[in-house]
Amino acid sequence: MDCAINLNNVSKSFVVMREKHASLKSALLSLRRNRPERVLGLSGITLSIAHGETVAIVGKNGSGKSTLLRIIGRVYRPTAGTVQANGRMSTMLALAAGFHPELTGRENIYFNGAIMGLGSAEMAAKIDRIIDFSELNDFIDSPVKTYSDGMLMRLGFSVAVETDPDILLIDEVLAVGDAEFQEKCYDRIDAFKRAGRTIVFVTHDLEAAKNVASRAIWMNAGEVVADGDTVQVVAQYLNSVVHIEHASKENV
Amino acid sequence: MVNELRELFRYRYLLSQLVARDIKVRYKNSFLGFFWSLANPLLQVATMTVVIKYVMLLEIPNYSAYLLVGYLPWMFFQMALLDSSQVVLSHRDLLRKVYFPREVLPLSVVAANLIHYVLALVVFFAYLLFYRLFLHGAPIRITVLWLPVLMALQTALVIGLAFFISCLNVFYEDVKYLLTVLLNVFFYLTPIMYPAELVYAKLNSPLLYRLYLLLPMNALTDAYRKTLLPPISGLTIKETPIHSLPLDYGALAAAGALCVIIAVTGYAFFNARKWVFAERV
Repeated sequence: MDCAINLNNVSKSFVVMREKHASLKSALLSLRRNRPERVLGLSGITLSIAHGETVAIVGKNGSGKSTLLRIIGRVYRPTAGTVQANGRMSTMLALAAGFHPELTGRENIYFNGAIMGLGSAEMAAKIDRIIDFSELNDFIDSPVKTYSDGMLMRLGFSVAVETDPDILLIDEVLAVGDAEFQEKCYDRIDAFKRAGRTIVFVTHDLEAAKNVASRAIWMNAGEVVADGDTVQVVAQYLNSVVHIEHASKENV
Repeated sequence: MVNELRELFRYRYLLSQLVARDIKVRYKNSFLGFFWSLANPLLQVATMTVVIKYVMLLEIPNYSAYLLVGYLPWMFFQMALLDSSQVVLSHRDLLRKVYFPREVLPLSVVAANLIHYVLALVVFFAYLLFYRLFLHGAPIRITVLWLPVLMALQTALVIGLAFFISCLNVFYEDVKYLLTVLLNVFFYLTPIMYPAELVYAKLNSPLLYRLYLLLPMNALTDAYRKTLLPPISGLTIKETPIHSLPLDYGALAAAGALCVIIAVTGYAFFNARKWVFAERV
């Protein structure tokens, strides 16, 4: 099937430890006793995303949005089911993850490209476009520890978009810089869609979801509650939130 | 494993970027930069030489050269393993966000430390040339051709152990403390401060000595010394002279095979667990 992303009956459970890093001693002592608990992160997700689709994943905290994105991005391996992605994928990195504060903007761009799987020749061909798009020409050879948060996001967005991935994954970062730059980002995302590229992003910003995505997936407790037109799904989601608030008020 | 290696090859640029980043960041704000990673072994060797020669009054000809040739490979071994114990944890943000072949992390710290080792060897050879040309007039020996082989075997060993250590430390942080202790113990058990001939004399059993040389760092340290420097001479313990032994190729081959086995099993061990790291760090 000609899909960008295909998930077939995907489940993911996590082993939960009381302390994340168990010590050797406790491992030896508890060898027989208490088996580690398993917590279900996703259960039985089946969905496919076509080339050129832009999909927003919405839902409250802990609903499995980010887990789903990480399953798609091959950061987590599913416990059951299969995940298929066709094309080169890149993840837009949030502030802390991809950038080293001591290195310059340029050095960080090369590193970011490398982590998306590009080679040195590809990066050399793309570096100028990335810097131009970021509008950080004057600061590109300064360490990024001198950058503001807005500048870092611009840098991250520029690398993610200008390295031309077939599939772009974004985890909650669409508020990029000032209104003017944001407009530029939306334009770039539109061009991206027209070129048949796929974007999947997780967001709490429902307005951004409606602006950018044509399709939305509403997650709750590790399951897909609704999947379809963004306006409808967002309305359903908002409805349920209001509903819950009402219920809790009545209980008081 | 073939697929894993192919994927790793595809990400070779990331590996080189990680190494470059490691080296750049390490010396970014220090004025003397690389000098510091040389200063440590040189100062250590100078101190030990002074203690042996002038405090303990042991008369060992050219002690500092013999010490240095064992100490530099040990520094590579020790630093690479200590760094590898932290490398997965220190990249937790990346691991939790992006797909990439996880093995680039331990490989990058081994590569960065290998570069330091090579630079330290350049200084060592400069010292040797100066010493030989101006004081003894003897050239560097032809057995120096063994050096790339020994370095390759040691690198295989370090890579294999780095795979085990970086992986285990994700699950048990005790590993890093255990490692520090073991490295201290093995520093004295490895023939670095003394020649392997002394162990041979003490053990007084060719079989036990063979077993001793089966530990890869023992055989490698001995081989580095015997291929880079002339045989020891004039060394006596309680008035019995210690005779130099020829390089034991059989023992070296066995230790070398062990290095390769450790590298392969380490990679398999790491691969079997590497996709859980993102959930555990």
